[in-house]
Amino acid sequence: MKTLKGRTIVPGKRRGKALVSTKPISFLGGIDPDSGKVIEKNHDLAGENIKDKILCFPCGHGSTVGSYVLYSLASKGFAPRAIVNQIADPVVVVGAIIAEIPMVDKIDVQKIPNGTEIEVDADKGLVRLLEDS
Amino acid sequence: MYLTRKEEKIYDGEFGWAYQTAMKILVRLGDLFGASKLIPIKSAHISGVSYKTLGDAPIDFLKATAETCPRVRVPSTLNPCGFDSDYLVTKFPEKLRKKQALILNLYTQIGVVPALTCTPYYLKTPKNGWHLASAESSAVVYTNSVLGAWTNREGSPSALAAALVGKVPDYGVHRPENRQPSIVVKVETELANEAEFGALGVCVGKMLKDEVPVFQGLPANVKGDELKQLGAGLASSGMISIFHYKPSPTKGLERVAVTKSDVRNAMENLSANVGTPDLVFVGCPHCSLGEVKAVADLVRDKKVRREFWVCTSRFVKEKAMEHVRVIEKAGGHVLCDTCAIVTWLKELGVKVMLTNSAKAAYYSPTMNRVDAVLAPLNECVETALKLQR
Repeated sequence: MKTLKGRTIVPGKRRGKALVSTKPISFLGGIDPDSGKVIEKNHDLAGENIKDKILCFPCGHGSTVGSYVLYSLASKGFAPRAIVNQIADPVVVVGAIIAEIPMVDKIDVQKIPNGTEIEVDADKGLVRLLEDS
Repeated sequence: MYLTRKEEKIYDGEFGWAYQTAMKILVRLGDLFGASKLIPIKSAHISGVSYKTLGDAPIDFLKATAETCPRVRVPSTLNPCGFDSDYLVTKFPEKLRKKQALILNLYTQIGVVPALTCTPYYLKTPKNGWHLASAESSAVVYTNSVLGAWTNREGSPSALAAALVGKVPDYGVHRPENRQPSIVVKVETELANEAEFGALGVCVGKMLKDEVPVFQGLPANVKGDELKQLGAGLASSGMISIFHYKPSPTKGLERVAVTKSDVRNAMENLSANVGTPDLVFVGCPHCSLGEVKAVADLVRDKKVRREFWVCTSRFVKEKAMEHVRVIEKAGGHVLCDTCAIVTWLKELGVKVMLTNSAKAAYYSPTMNRVDAVLAPLNECVETALKLQR
C-alpha cells in the first residue's frame, strides 16, 4: 500500500473512491449546487458527480463565494467525502472548514489513480492508496 | 498561531457555532499564510451581496449563521446589491426581489450595515495605520495605497468571519515588510484621463500578479479619483493589494516600463469593436462627490438621449443633491446601492455598455455577457447626449 504525505488543512478520516482532475475547480459556476455535478464546460470532470467521492484536484480558483457552494453542497448531502489538493487556496480551505469536509494539501494528486479506493487521514495529513496499481 | 484564552474558548465553541466557525476560518487562514496572532480591526467590509452574482450559494450558510444570533464586533458594511430601490427594482420579477431581500435581511440580522457601496471609505474614511478587513478588491487597493490603512484582500467568508470576531490574522499586508515596494513601474507617457489610469491598472495588474509596484512618472498632483481607477484596474486583472505612487527608495528593485502604446493597447483591449452603446455607465467604483459634480457640469441644461446611469452610495447622493437634480433633469439616473456589473444587465436588454471605468469594461463581457467600450467621462457624456441610432 502506497502512502502520500501532505499537510492537514481540516482534520478527519474518510475513505472512498478517488475522483481525480488535472484542472483547477471553481465551485461557483463550476459545480451544480443542487446535484454535485461538474457543470464547467471543457473541464476534465465535466458530467461527473463529486457526491461521496474523494475529490482530488490541483487547486481552487474563481470567486470567494465558491466557499459557500461547498457549504450548500454539504447541507444538501452532495459534498465530497474529503478533498485532496496540491496547493490549498483560501476559497477551498474556507469552504472545507465551514462544510466540515476533511482536507489535505501538498499532495501530488496525479499520483492518485482515478476511480480507485483511497483513504484520507487528514489528522495526519496522509493519503493512503488502498488498491495496488 | 498564538491564541488568547478568550480566542481559544471561541475556537472551542463556547460562544456557539457561528463564532466558532468564524474563528476556525481566521485561524486556519492565519496558519496557512504564516500569521503569528490575531490583531484587532476597526471595521469590516463584506462582499457577497448581489443575488445576481451569487445566486443561492451563500443563503444556506448565512441562514445557519444568523440562526445562532451572533453580532458583528466592529462596524461592518456591505457591497452593492442587484438593484436600487427606486428605478431598477421595478424592472425585475418578484422572485429575484425576494431572494435579494432575504440576503440583505440575513446580513442585517447580525448587525451588518447595508451601506451597499463599493466605496465605504467615503462614508467613514479609515485613518492612516488602521487595520481593517475588506473584501472589495478596489477598496482594498485604495485603502492600502491612498488612505494608508491596512487590509488584506479578503474573500466574502473571511471578511464576515473577521467582522464577527473583530480581528484578523496578522499576515500579508498587515505586516510592514510586506507593504514595501517590490518592483518599479515607470510610466513613460502622460495619462490624459481617468479611463487611461484604469487601463494602466488593468495592464500592470496582468503583468505583476501579486507584487507591490511603485509607480514613477505619475503627475505630482494626481487626484484621488484617478488613483481609485488605477487601483480598481490593478485589482481586476491581478492580485495586487497595495501600490505606491509617491517617491520612495527603489534601489536594487526590478524595473518595468509602460509606454504610450501599452496604455493605448490596454484601452483597445477593454473596448469591443461593436455597434452603438445603449447604456452609458459612470460610477465603477461608486462615484465620489467630485465625480457626481463633474457629470452634472457636463449635462447641465442638456438632454441625454439614451440610458445613462451614474452609480454612487446613498451617503454621497444625499450630499450631492444639487448635482443629482441637474443630472436627473437632463434625463440621467443617479442610482444607489447597485451598479451595472452586479445587476441583471443583459436581462434589462443592454447589448453594449459605454463606461469610463476600466474595471467595469474588464468584467462586463464575462460577468454580464454584455460588450463594453471604454472612454473618458467627457466622451461618455457626449455619446449619452447624442440621438441613438
